[in-house]
Amino acid sequence: MVNVEEIRDYAASLLEKEEVKAVLGFRRGSASAFAEPCTITDAGEAASLVWDPTCLNNLALYLVKDRKQQAAAKTPDNRPVGIVAKGCDSRAVGVLLQENFFKREDVVVIGVSCEGTGVVDANKLSDKLKGRTASLITFSGAGDINVSVYGDETETAIPAREILADRCLECRAAAPALHDVVFGDTVEARDFNEPFHAAKEAESVSEDERWATWEHHFDRCLRCFACRAVCPMCYCPECVVDSTTFVVTLGTSAEEKANRIRWCERSANTSESAVYHLTRAIHLAGRCIDCGECERVCPVNIPLRLLNTKLEKEAFEMFEYQAGHDIEQASLLSSFRDEDPNSFIR
Amino acid sequence: MEKILSQEKLREWVDMLDDCEVYAPAFADSVWNHAKIEAGVNIDLSHTNTIGSVKEFVFPQREVFFRFEKKDGVPVLTPTLPDPKPTVVFGVRPCDGRGMPRNDTVFNKEFEDPYYWARRDKLTLVGLACNQPHSPNCFCQSVGGSPHSEDGLDILMTDLGDRYHVKGVTAKGVEAMERGRDAFDTVCDGDQTEVEKIHEASRSHPQRPLGNLDAIPEAIRESFDSPLWADMAQHCIGCGICTFLCPTCHCFDINDEVTSPTTGEGERVRTWDNCQFPDFTMHTSGHNPRADLGSRLRQRVSHKFLYFVENHKTQQCTGCGRCITECPVGIDIVAVLERVSQ
Repeated sequence: MVNVEEIRDYAASLLEKEEVKAVLGFRRGSASAFAEPCTITDAGEAASLVWDPTCLNNLALYLVKDRKQQAAAKTPDNRPVGIVAKGCDSRAVGVLLQENFFKREDVVVIGVSCEGTGVVDANKLSDKLKGRTASLITFSGAGDINVSVYGDETETAIPAREILADRCLECRAAAPALHDVVFGDTVEARDFNEPFHAAKEAESVSEDERWATWEHHFDRCLRCFACRAVCPMCYCPECVVDSTTFVVTLGTSAEEKANRIRWCERSANTSESAVYHLTRAIHLAGRCIDCGECERVCPVNIPLRLLNTKLEKEAFEMFEYQAGHDIEQASLLSSFRDEDPNSFIR
Repeated sequence: MEKILSQEKLREWVDMLDDCEVYAPAFADSVWNHAKIEAGVNIDLSHTNTIGSVKEFVFPQREVFFRFEKKDGVPVLTPTLPDPKPTVVFGVRPCDGRGMPRNDTVFNKEFEDPYYWARRDKLTLVGLACNQPHSPNCFCQSVGGSPHSEDGLDILMTDLGDRYHVKGVTAKGVEAMERGRDAFDTVCDGDQTEVEKIHEASRSHPQRPLGNLDAIPEAIRESFDSPLWADMAQHCIGCGICTFLCPTCHCFDINDEVTSPTTGEGERVRTWDNCQFPDFTMHTSGHNPRADLGSRLRQRVSHKFLYFVENHKTQQCTGCGRCITECPVGIDIVAVLERVSQ
């Protein structure tokens, strides 16, 4: 069992010794039974840190945000930042390091092992409760997750594997490989689902059925861009398929502004949303570390993770590549091998 | 007009509205949302609240203003004013109902928006009172509403267990009820007492308080330059969830979507826009007066609890709680107002 006191003490000592300017972690929020992200800058605040299967967010997003802020600041504060990271989150840090977004010494990874469980999937929970709200979610350490429903006095025990996120059921690296410290037991193998189980299942139906499914989902997309906004790998200042991020500076000519190609219209209709999601998925190939944030934040529950894991499956099957597992490795799309059988490489 | 409708006759009433498009909440893809009710489909009113609000029926995310093309070198415009079938939406929660008169004000005050009203005039909202709040983030009573408010609804239904009490609030609502005449029973004294009891009980559930509503505008005005906003938006990701799901957010963008550059064919479309997006206030010079997420959070809250109050004498928030529940990082408008008011 992870002892949350150890995480708090470690975070507090990092801040006391001024080894970091801030620690990114989780705290209880007012909005829901799920934990919310927090940034603590004072050792005294470390007592508010929590750790349990409701800590869903991938906080690596805020490392990206901080780097961007410092780059734009007149007097940048480039001191290191500490981050509480699950296995998947630490791989996000890994990809950002591979892509030279920041340096290893800029970040202190406070790894936390998911210890053979993982995090709760809000959609699976919603299915169990038929849309009602959970007011309290606790994990006993055994096989069940206890859920109290708002407006209901009773507490229900739900077998963990029924409401854990698909990525957790498929995870083979629950303990962060990239870390400065790890809390919790480093349980590696779990006997839930095989890797890429959900993607394989989605692939098993006919092409027509798959298209019908995705047409249904793209048609429902609101283009709120939450999936892009929450993704730590989507750090481009200007997104090719998100017209809301058009970067204009004093130096942008009138011609550039007038002639800017809109690869994807603002309209949220099936074809434009398909272009948006598929382009985004392609841009994440070999980079997606399967934190599932895109799928979690989607207000209409489009199963976006499937698009990304499908591509990660290809990367693994063709190149034995796993994003963020080894920071010494060159990233998939910026490297080639001499022995590559395809002629275009030569 | 007040009537009683047994649970099993709801379907009968809906079937009699056969020249209308009927929508009701349905649980699909792990979420409640409005679904078109086809013949023979069961209607399930055990819903919490729908993820999308009823504003979608009058202010769709994509509205075509007109089509354009070039004919013999001359631009030709074809109007596309919508002419929808009469539409009836069942299961509307009172908070969403209260959103509607607020939207009406916006789309009517200085300029009557023909696209909005073409849809609005054909829309009948059948509300369902909340016998108890369905989310800890409900705060309708804190913004002057109630779990059985009739404001903005054409009909209010109250669930009495095995039957509904159905009250026609507007002429449109009464007409819809008259169409289903045979499905309804008359109301007896006992029913009336039960409805009152249920309504009273529904108001007694604790909701998140906002304190003195009248003091909020001044508190926001005073905190304009406060570092609180940046602090509260520290984890904001700048997505559009809070405003797109809001029953009263109504900002839009207008674009020309050219489908064929050779013939110059295309459509001018209105799409939802959002004060949380970077280009919302982007000037053509590259200057952005709301360059950071703190100022965008301030804008969202100020519009609802300060500017709208100044312009229209009421809050532009009906306490549905969607922006709180659906925020990916836990930004909570009630907590925000609490901190600003301190």
